Amino acid sequence: MFERIMSSKGWWRLFQAYGLVFLIFLYLPLALIFVYSFNANPINMAVWTEFTFDWYKTIFFGAGTAGSFDAAFTESPDRIFEVVRNSAIVALSASTISTVIGTATAIAIRRYDFVGKKVYQALLVLPMIVPDIVLGIALLIFFVGAGFELSLLTVIIGHTTFLSSYVFVVVSARLAGMDMSLERASADLGAGPLTTFRRVTLPQIMPGVVGGFLLAFIISLDDVVITYFIAGVGSQTLPLFILAMMRRGLRPQINALAILLLSFTFTVAAIGLYLRSRKS
Amino acid sequence: MDGFLQIRSATKMYRTPEGGSIRALDDVTLHIRSNEFISLLGPSGCGKTTLLKCIAGFEDLDHGDITLTGQSLTRIPAHRRPFNTVFQNYALFPHLTVERNVAYGLDVAHVERKERTRRVGEALEQVGLAGFGARMPNQLSGGQQQRVAVARSLVLKPKVLLLDEPLSALDRKMRESMQIELKSLQHSVGITFIFVTHDQEEALSMSDRVAVLASGKVQQLASPKEIYDEPQNEFVANFVGTSNIFKGKVIAKEGRTLTLKTANGRELAVASDRFGVGDDACAVLRPEHLKLSGEARDRAIKGTVTQSVFVGSEMHLHVDVGLGRTAVVRHRHNKGSTEAAYGPGADVTLYYTPEAAHVIECKGA
Repeated sequence: MFERIMSSKGWWRLFQAYGLVFLIFLYLPLALIFVYSFNANPINMAVWTEFTFDWYKTIFFGAGTAGSFDAAFTESPDRIFEVVRNSAIVALSASTISTVIGTATAIAIRRYDFVGKKVYQALLVLPMIVPDIVLGIALLIFFVGAGFELSLLTVIIGHTTFLSSYVFVVVSARLAGMDMSLERASADLGAGPLTTFRRVTLPQIMPGVVGGFLLAFIISLDDVVITYFIAGVGSQTLPLFILAMMRRGLRPQINALAILLLSFTFTVAAIGLYLRSRKS
Repeated sequence: MDGFLQIRSATKMYRTPEGGSIRALDDVTLHIRSNEFISLLGPSGCGKTTLLKCIAGFEDLDHGDITLTGQSLTRIPAHRRPFNTVFQNYALFPHLTVERNVAYGLDVAHVERKERTRRVGEALEQVGLAGFGARMPNQLSGGQQQRVAVARSLVLKPKVLLLDEPLSALDRKMRESMQIELKSLQHSVGITFIFVTHDQEEALSMSDRVAVLASGKVQQLASPKEIYDEPQNEFVANFVGTSNIFKGKVIAKEGRTLTLKTANGRELAVASDRFGVGDDACAVLRPEHLKLSGEARDRAIKGTVTQSVFVGSEMHLHVDVGLGRTAVVRHRHNKGSTEAAYGPGADVTLYYTPEAAHVIECKGA
């Protein structure tokens, strides 16, 4: 019955149209900011005047260089480089630490049986589903209570808590597909535990480790809610910076900045997908 | 007594998910000789793989000891034991070429490059895979992967090669040719092969000795011929080959010839040195020792064919002989003969020579 409906031409067209509409729904907003980021109209970005690179230029070289007349709204390039640097430090450190913790945990969970393993596994995944705002507040209270001064370090620690969960899940999935007898074979051929890890386990799970790292990196890079609570003065990250800019009005530079961030994220994701397809 | 590889009172327990425990190995004692091809044969769950893992060092014994030329292996981890294993699924490293796979153990042992290359080449040649070194494992057939696994182990010149059902994933033809290859390989390298299998034909055709295992215990350790001709108990008789087993009580003894009376009053003549009048005993008759006869004979068993199965070279007749069990008879048929005579429902008479019957103790007779 259903197959017959699907196979009739009219219905098939309708489903195709639906698919198209859905994709437009997903990507139209992104397409819009892409177009707006090149629109020279500084007052109303929805009205096209002419093509310009000015917004991109002001991000990198500051107001004045592109002859922007609302310099008051434009942040200095120094400020942007600082927040980009902060974001890079946080994302790289947090995802690196998370990758080490998440991978080690995944291997231990796969290899050993112990009492309460199921509970332990559930607790490991929990940070992924705890509402960000709750995690943010909890981390803030913890840091304040523990006497930490809010800084880049607290942001890194905070991100690591939930990013480890993501890496754990991704690496676990990869490990589940790995033949455990390979490790046995390695031991059988005379390799100690460390050699086995380096020569057999790690190469086998590498796509998962890299994938987990990239995922953690992207999530860390664009996290707003949790970072908002635990970032101190001078540890503003790029997303927080964009948010702050938004408060002072919807400026065209935001479009340009958003597109840059988006391009970078897409590139990282594309590398991840490519590595995954190549290794499997 | 050759004290090469000795397993003494090996016991290994596993916890079941329900909280109980099962004895995977129950007081197993086994003396394995140097340079022999020994099979551990048994159904799944009999403990054969557990025993192999304990020898390899992947599992620890709960009780007992394993010694190699007198030295206990208990505290020696798997990667320091002079044994190598060929795994059931081969466990080749998928990210390494055939050559790197075979070289793995030598790499780990930091063998110098020149010697490594030479030995890898030798090992690949030994298994007929010279020229395959640059391939990846997934580019090889099952039989070739099997050979790489063997080469990877043999290149380390182990004292014992452990093989965990290595042929079970291969198709029948490939399996048969690998059986012959493995056997001749064992001859040429001159080391002990411990071969785990559930396939009795495989065990009988390849081994110098066979250890039949069931429920964690060694049921019998003997040459293949002895295992087949003189099974020690009912389990071995049933598991290895097809057996017709008839239970009864010895009612008369004349020289080596015993008369066995079955529960329903039939009398069977069998030959044995053991057993006396009044003992319970079981007669084991292999299908090929039961012959069909048209006319009545001394010591014959009358019966009715219930089923006849054509298997090519012969007919397998299932005959109801009124002893509680159908007897299986192998009948070599001649081309053009009137086989219809042995179809279901045909009355037949079976006979055998008393010497052909093997007598064992009956469990719970």
